[in-house]
Amino acid sequence: MAPDIIRCENLRKSFGKTEVLQGVDLVVPEGAVVGLLGTNGAGKSTLIKCLLGLLRISSGAATVFGEDPWELSAATKARLGYVPQAVKVYPWMKVRQVIDYTGAFYPQWDPQWCDELLRKWELDGSAWVRNLSGGELQRLGLILAMGHRPDLLVLDEPAASLDPIGRRNLLRSLLDATRDGVHTVLFSTHITSDLERVASHVAILGEGVIDFFGELDELKDSVKRIRVHSTANLPVDFAVPGSLRTEVAGKTAVVAVASVDDQLLDGIRNRWDVTVDVEDLNLEDIFLELHDA
Amino acid sequence: MAVEPEHFRVAPSSGVPLFRQIIDQVAALVASGVLKAGDMLPSTRELARVLEVNMMTVSKAYSRLEADGLVERVRGTGMRVAAPSVNRPLAERQQEFQEQVAPALHRARQLGLTDEQILNVVNKVLKANVHGS
Repeated sequence: MAPDIIRCENLRKSFGKTEVLQGVDLVVPEGAVVGLLGTNGAGKSTLIKCLLGLLRISSGAATVFGEDPWELSAATKARLGYVPQAVKVYPWMKVRQVIDYTGAFYPQWDPQWCDELLRKWELDGSAWVRNLSGGELQRLGLILAMGHRPDLLVLDEPAASLDPIGRRNLLRSLLDATRDGVHTVLFSTHITSDLERVASHVAILGEGVIDFFGELDELKDSVKRIRVHSTANLPVDFAVPGSLRTEVAGKTAVVAVASVDDQLLDGIRNRWDVTVDVEDLNLEDIFLELHDA
Repeated sequence: MAVEPEHFRVAPSSGVPLFRQIIDQVAALVASGVLKAGDMLPSTRELARVLEVNMMTVSKAYSRLEADGLVERVRGTGMRVAAPSVNRPLAERQQEFQEQVAPALHRARQLGLTDEQILNVVNKVLKANVHGS
């Protein structure tokens, strides 16, 4: 069994009277690439900051590499890489200087990998940091966070200010970095298409709690939209057990379910004498169905 | 012969999980005769690199294919396309087919087809799809 890199149990975080995280349970196994998905203001950044010890949790428990995030040892911090939503680096340095400066803090810094990333992401090492665009700054932040090949890489909205090419390059580098199956990545996003290629797991954060955590494949296999067709108008009491959403219009109905199986489908067929079509949903559809439920 | 990883395509934003897309494509390549018993699949690493997907996705697909008896794991070499799965119990194979047929049958009844008309269609499809084995 792979060890768990992140664990939280009933993690809560309040700011004044506002409770942003209302009991988060999450277990991230080693080697997982976890996409943390949530609407704006769901608490993604707050959760990330709690896990990194940048914010103190109000109650509940959390561990990262088995340690309390608020009291991380230097050795454990050296295994972490973090890119915040807004990257802040010294504007009076050149790109190459910032990289060397940051690298000096890490015994296992990999300058060759940094050069490779600079080239791949088309960053000019001799450019002044103050002249970088938002997207360039974000790419620099990524290099600074990945240069020591961290065991756990945490990215807060890494793709937010990247163009499609930049996003694709980032996802490629994430795949490269996690190819060995021991490097773990947690990245928050509200762009579902970023997740579908790279993520092994998805955590959906809604209103301060995790609505779903599991393998992306499992999620796609279980959340489905069912189209029901009948020869006569469907009765008013038409319902499907465990449905997220039901829309009846005459002879047809559309039902979103969180967990589909043959038994459920047979049940619908036999109970209402109808045909059913199961529609596969992509992550965006699933996110919307879970969110509206 | 081995199949090139470039033979494979995935659509990440489809509702079908990526590992299932890979499974379906291997099955289709076998069914169409592009892949024959004894042919090798691309390595997990190679296919993940070309498709730009998580390596776990590919290994999951390969494990399922192995469990289904479509491919076999050759130690130190990779995945090899297995001989047609006649060694699985007949009852099991029939059961699997039956599950595929049931929904189509239900729809046929709804369309008002008689049993004879349904059988006619099945025979026609069978004739059009003579398996060149």
